[in-house]
Amino acid sequence: MMATVALVAMLGVVWLAATYRENGSRAILLPDQVMTLLPDPKPLTAFAFADHENRVFDLSHLKGKWSFLFFGYTHCPDVCPTTLATLARAHESMAKSPAGAKDVQFVFISVDPNRDTAGKLRQYVTYFDTSFLGVTGDDAQLAKLAGQLGAVYQLAITPGMENYPVYHTAAVFLVDPRARYHAVFAPPLDAEGISKRFEVLRELEGPRAT
Amino acid sequence: MSRRYLVGMILALTAIAAATEEAGVSVRDAWVRETPPGIAMTAGYMVLQNKTSRSQVLVAARSSGFETVTIHRTVAKQGMTGMEHASKIELLPNASLLFAPGGYHLMLLNPKRPLRAGDRVDITLEFRGGLVLPVAYEVRK
Repeated sequence: MMATVALVAMLGVVWLAATYRENGSRAILLPDQVMTLLPDPKPLTAFAFADHENRVFDLSHLKGKWSFLFFGYTHCPDVCPTTLATLARAHESMAKSPAGAKDVQFVFISVDPNRDTAGKLRQYVTYFDTSFLGVTGDDAQLAKLAGQLGAVYQLAITPGMENYPVYHTAAVFLVDPRARYHAVFAPPLDAEGISKRFEVLRELEGPRAT
Repeated sequence: MSRRYLVGMILALTAIAAATEEAGVSVRDAWVRETPPGIAMTAGYMVLQNKTSRSQVLVAARSSGFETVTIHRTVAKQGMTGMEHASKIELLPNASLLFAPGGYHLMLLNPKRPLRAGDRVDITLEFRGGLVLPVAYEVRK
């Protein structure tokens, strides 16, 4: 009973948020600003990456599952490991929820293909969570997906400089099982903030999103 | 009063002042993130406390356990996050400064050996005016 009341209350919050339009912007903010829902989920178009086992990872791999996408690079001492550790905890929490996490995948998209080879990506992402997937592609392919999500990145490559800085969007993007950009989580991220909201959203969207 | 006596007195007073400040500047909850396999960099975090009545300026950090230690800050600009070098950080009197993920951190490059949770890392913080503060950081996953 308590759980039902809590769920209805949370759905209420999402519903309220979903009916609120801010200055005609299509993106909608929840009152707590953790998750922004797109009122009209945006179908993504083709891109082609390779995953950390050198298999193709393209648009079709975003279908049939909810996908959490994060852009980063492995030579990143602060934001990337912090985010991946947070996503690993969120995943753990989702896996314990009644609906489980079988329909969820977490994808780390490296914007630094020069340094992030498949082997390096595999070592890196699976350290945080054995189910995580690391993918990357050339600049044109990265730009195709990033552009659709509003993600930006910039590599300040300097010849002879091994540890060149990389700037990247630190948000986590949520793509629904119909490969539509559905929501975005803005930093600072916390595991429970992500998993709780996702569970409500999945419940709400369940039949429509698949 | 001889000049030598005066110099001696000033040195003694400076030493007392430095000792007092040493006691007043402290660090708690110091930790370093474990290095993921194949990754030769990580970050250090802490709460830096200045309980003295003067501003203290952190100017450098060093450790024999890494090739370089730099004071960095993660910043957001034009929708992106990146890191910038903080050449000095002023700590106001009786104030604390948080070094935490997504903000200020010690960028630790090329550790001499991989860092595993439970290890200890020694890093010395250097402040303007000669104050040095050795700090033990716990490696955490």
